[in-house]
Amino acid sequence: MTGTPMSPLQLAFVAFFGLAAVWFALVVFRTSSMMRSALALLFSQTALGALFLALQAEFLGVLQIMMMATEMSIMAIFMVMFMMDPGGLGQMDMTHQKRLSILAGVIAAVAIAAVALLTPWGAPATTVPSPADQLQGLGRELLGRSMLVFETAGITILTAMVAATAVAMPAFERRRER
Amino acid sequence: MSVLAPLLALAAIAYIVVVLDGWLSTGRLRPFAPATAALGLLARESVVPRSPDRLFFETAPVLLLIAAVLAAAVLPLGPGLVIADLATGALFVNAAFAYVLVALLMAGWGPDGAYAMVGGWRFLGQTIAYSMLIVMPITAVAMRAQSLSTADIVRSQAGLWNVLYQPLGFALFFVAGMAVAFLPPFDLPTAPGELAGGVEAEYTGARLAVFRIARTVLVVSLATATTVFYLGGWLGPGLPPWAWSALKTLAVAAAMLELGHAVPRIREAHLLAWAWKAGIPLALLNIFLVGVLLLVLP
Repeated sequence: MTGTPMSPLQLAFVAFFGLAAVWFALVVFRTSSMMRSALALLFSQTALGALFLALQAEFLGVLQIMMMATEMSIMAIFMVMFMMDPGGLGQMDMTHQKRLSILAGVIAAVAIAAVALLTPWGAPATTVPSPADQLQGLGRELLGRSMLVFETAGITILTAMVAATAVAMPAFERRRER
Repeated sequence: MSVLAPLLALAAIAYIVVVLDGWLSTGRLRPFAPATAALGLLARESVVPRSPDRLFFETAPVLLLIAAVLAAAVLPLGPGLVIADLATGALFVNAAFAYVLVALLMAGWGPDGAYAMVGGWRFLGQTIAYSMLIVMPITAVAMRAQSLSTADIVRSQAGLWNVLYQPLGFALFFVAGMAVAFLPPFDLPTAPGELAGGVEAEYTGARLAVFRIARTVLVVSLATATTVFYLGGWLGPGLPPWAWSALKTLAVAAAMLELGHAVPRIREAHLLAWAWKAGIPLALLNIFLVGVLLLVLP
C-alpha cells in the first residue's frame, strides 16, 4: 500500500463515504425519532471511519468505527430518556432556538473552512506509511510528546465520571447499603 | 478463493456447533436438525408487528449477521487462511462486536413491543460493561505479540499459549464472550421464560431464521477469537493447521454453549456489578501482570 498516489477508485470511495457522512448527518435532524436520530449520527460517524480507511489511515478508521458504536448507543438511551416524545410519533416539534443555532452553525462552518483553507498544509503526501508503521508511530507519539495531553484528558474524564456517579446516588440508597 | 474458504468454514463450524449443542443438551444426535429447523422457519409466515420502525426491524437481524461475519473475517484459520489480514485486526474484532450492540438495540426498538424494548436496553448495559472485558484482555494479548495483527498474535504463542501465559485474561475474555453473544447465563436480552424472547419476541419466520443464524455465527466468531487470542490458533502437532483451528473453535463454542445450561441466569444489576466491580479491576491487573512478565521473562 506504500508509495502509491490516490487511485481513482480510492478517490471514489473517499467521495462516497464523505457524502454518506454528510447525508446521515442531515438525517439526524430530519427525523423526530430519537432512536433514528442517534443511529443516523452513528452511521454518519461510521462513514467517516470508512473514509479514514479509504485514506489508508487504518487504525484511525477502525478506532472511529469501534468507538462510535458504543458511544452513540449510550447517547441513544439518554435521548430516549430525556425527550418527551422519543418515538417521534406525537407530531411534536423537537426544535427550538432556531435562529441562534443556525447562527452558531454558520460560524462554526466558516471557522472550519477558514482553518482548512488558511493552514499551510504543505505538499500532499505521496507515500503513506504501512498500517503497522502507523501504529508504531502512534504508540511513540502517545508515550512521548502527547502523553501529558492524553493523561490530563483521561484523568479529567475519570474525575467527571466519579463525580457524576456520586451525584446520581440518592442519599437513602447510600445509607441502606451501609 | 481466499474469501470463500473461510466463509464456508465458518458456516460449517456453525452448523456442527448447533448439532453438537443439541446432542450435548438433549442426548440425541440429530445431524439434520438445524437444516429442518431452518426450512421450518423459512416456510412459516413472517409476521410484522402492527407499528414497527420498519427500517430498524428489517436491518437488525442482517446487521447482527454482518457484525459476526466481519469479526470472523480478520481471524485466521491457518497461515494465510484469512479473509483480511489487517495490521489492526485485534482492534477490528472489537469494532465488529460493537455492532452486535447496535443490532440488538435496533431489534429492541424496531418492533414497538414492550418485551423487545426491555431486552434491547438491557443489552446496552450488559455490552457496555462486558465489551470492556473483551477489549482489555485483547490489550494484554497484543502486548505480548507486540502487534495487533491476528496472525502475529497466533505466532507469538508458538512457545506457550496465552491461556497459560495469561490465564486471568482468558477467563475474563471467555466470560465476556458469552455475555456479548447473550448466551445463558447472560441471556438477559432474550430471557426465555421471563421476557418471552425479548429482542427475538416479535421476529418470526425468515427474519427469525436470520436472527438465529446470526447469533450462532456470533458464537462461532467469539470462539474463533478465543482460539486465536488464547489457544494458539492454528498451532499444534500432527494435524494440518486448519484442522487444529476447527477443533479448538468447536471445543470453545461447545464449552460456551454447555456452560450456560449448568448456570442460572444472573440478574441485570448483579451482572453489571460483577463486571464493573470485579471484572474491570481484574482486567487491569491482567494487563499489569502481563507487562511485568514481558519485562521479567526473556
